[in-house]
Amino acid sequence: MESERDDGRSPSQLRPLSCARNVLHRAHGSASWSQGDTKVLAAVYGPKAGTKKNENPEKACIEVIWKPKTGQIGKQEKEFEMILKRTLQSICILTLNPNTTTSIIVQVVNDDGALLVCAINAACAALIDAGIPLKHLAVAICCCLAEGGYVILDPTKLEEQKMRGFAYLVFPNSVVSVLPKGLSHVEGEPMEHGIITSVTHGVMSVEEYLKCLERGRAASTKLSDLLRRSMQSQLPSDSSKAA
Amino acid sequence: MGLPDASGDLSSEMEVDAFRRLFPLRYFERHLSESIRPDARPLGRARDTTLALGAVASAHGSALAKIGSTTMLAAIKMEVMTPFNRVTGRRLHWPAEAAPVISKQLSDTISSSGMINLKELSLVSGKAAWMAYLDIYCLDADGALFDAALLSAVAAFSHLQIPIVSLNDDGKIELISEEDDGAKLEVEPVNKEKRKLTLSSIPFSLTCILHKNYILADPTAEEESIMETAVTVVLDSSSRLVSFYKPGGPVLAHTSAVQDCVALTRQRVKELQNILDETLSGMEID
Amino acid sequence: MASKGGAAPSTYTHAPTNKTRRPPFFPDSDVDWLRSDGRGFHQCRPAFFRTGAVNSAAGSAYAESGKTKVIVSVFGPKESKKAMMYSDTGRLNCNVSYTTFATTVRGHGSENKEFSTMLHKALEGAIVLESFPKTTVDVFALVLESGGSDLPVVISCASLALADAGITMYDLVAGASVSCLGRNLIIDPISEEESFQDGSLMITCMPCHYEVTQLTITGKWSTANLNEAMQLCLDACSKLAKIMRSCLKEAASASKD
Repeated sequence: MESERDDGRSPSQLRPLSCARNVLHRAHGSASWSQGDTKVLAAVYGPKAGTKKNENPEKACIEVIWKPKTGQIGKQEKEFEMILKRTLQSICILTLNPNTTTSIIVQVVNDDGALLVCAINAACAALIDAGIPLKHLAVAICCCLAEGGYVILDPTKLEEQKMRGFAYLVFPNSVVSVLPKGLSHVEGEPMEHGIITSVTHGVMSVEEYLKCLERGRAASTKLSDLLRRSMQSQLPSDSSKAA
Repeated sequence: MGLPDASGDLSSEMEVDAFRRLFPLRYFERHLSESIRPDARPLGRARDTTLALGAVASAHGSALAKIGSTTMLAAIKMEVMTPFNRVTGRRLHWPAEAAPVISKQLSDTISSSGMINLKELSLVSGKAAWMAYLDIYCLDADGALFDAALLSAVAAFSHLQIPIVSLNDDGKIELISEEDDGAKLEVEPVNKEKRKLTLSSIPFSLTCILHKNYILADPTAEEESIMETAVTVVLDSSSRLVSFYKPGGPVLAHTSAVQDCVALTRQRVKELQNILDETLSGMEID
Repeated sequence: MASKGGAAPSTYTHAPTNKTRRPPFFPDSDVDWLRSDGRGFHQCRPAFFRTGAVNSAAGSAYAESGKTKVIVSVFGPKESKKAMMYSDTGRLNCNVSYTTFATTVRGHGSENKEFSTMLHKALEGAIVLESFPKTTVDVFALVLESGGSDLPVVISCASLALADAGITMYDLVAGASVSCLGRNLIIDPISEEESFQDGSLMITCMPCHYEVTQLTITGKWSTANLNEAMQLCLDACSKLAKIMRSCLKEAASASKD
């Protein structure tokens, strides 16, 4: 029943991922993240003093600026900005640097599906690179629902258009902790199974959505391992640079 | 001073209003622990909802939706356009920051729910079609803006009366006014039968706030500002999921919370469907 | 063929065909004609006012006069923007906007851009600006549906909303307009009548003080007509103010209970 995908991947196979940090030297932190042909560059500036108007000065303020590949930003990009901002707000420790603003600039290099997901992953890696204190990481994944009711992960743009519906899901990464296992569980579920962000398009049944969640969670574990490894491998070089 | 622990002791000495302003979160949590909200609602209950159809006489379809004191006025104007047909969703006026995002969310929801069969908007195949302009104004904002906007939009579409038009000699579409119909109809109306849209699966939504293990349905603006994690679930009349929207927020939604939100929305969809049906049948009697 | 006509703007609306028929006005004769809504020439449309329509605003009012429907919200007094200079008196900021569906042709309401400044000028004289120094009061008016004589309705409604917000005023401001059609003067014209008028006059005044806050005259007027029209407007204003006052009293007594 599960058909082969155009590029020969199995339904739950992700495209080749790559993550490079510290790619821009003027920014306080930066990262590029690519999933197949989708590539996003993120830069972090800050924390700078002061918050914008209408923001709570008792907390740190996060500002997201979305730069599309070409042209001006429209409603779609405004929505992406808002989702990205709210997602990053929930992983940052906002009470640590009150009355400061951290700007995250997201530049789309190439869009071949799962763009928002790629941008969230890039922004998260850039925040790490900038040394912004985080509660945990955010791992984003795109699940598509094909006609037959089966779920495919990490679609290309062509697949995205053909699908009945898709869900962008963001989970926290799995925590390595010294606490006994049960403590980090919420109602019998590990912490990393909770949804930070969910955006769906297209009509699906509730069961299908829950199936997407399940597949997304499984894949997010792999993603978060990759994120962690890429962080660790770059740590020694960072410390030597500092010295 | 102002330590979280101190507030617990102060609450007995302080006036309620002062306590509410100084420690809003504490104030709410003390209510929540009693399974009640400051406006005397149980946690899962939505505010009183009313619908009024035909509020704007100059539009072809209009509706005023009120959820608590959140008020949205939606109106549809039909214009003739030539090549393709599209439904545009727009939202203007107040509160400015949320407007483009809600507008986008709304047009996504309406188009992906498949509520409107775009073929019904076609007039002369390939030559002329209706363009439906949907404009929604927020007259009063007190939380759950998207829910009220979607409700008003859906109600405006079900109230929509497509004007009768005819083709004139130049092949242009002309409106036939209501008064002289029948009297001097040397021109044949193009759309005598198609005066109403058949809405197939109508989407309804419910926004919930997640806070610790509590789920608060249909939050007010005050609740939204204090507890920041909001989840908006859109279900259509046949209980299919049109959107599960959770833009970040400090509280994670676990499977049980997802299912609870969906269950609350199922209930709410029934309520809203009844309200819409009653309002529509009330219109027919008049 | 059809595609050619609609090429420049992507969509178009046609006015209903009967609109092109001119109403039976005979500019040079005294032949009696009826107004399309059956009113006498010197008869206003029934007016309806209600305060407290918007919860999130400091004060608000809704007004309905025939088909014209207006909602006004007042915010403040709140801190003026930093860029503004220090001022001993308060500031008034007015904005009048039309919904896109207010007029028969979509989006025509944006033609009335000068209404914001006119509203400001009409209200300024009635408000005790000294009572809120260094701060700004915002008045937002939204015309939900335009049925003629929009501006006088907006102004009356705005003064009621200001009163609802507790802004100190010398008196309520009531507005009325008269159209001149040939030799006839008609008060409180509807949109259709406004489109055929030869001249128009609008007065906004504080009836208790018998003071005019704004007077605008456009078009062709004879002195005799002008005097009569002014008197008509002033009379209408004082009657309107009574309705507005009773609306405020009702709201006040309701909140007491």
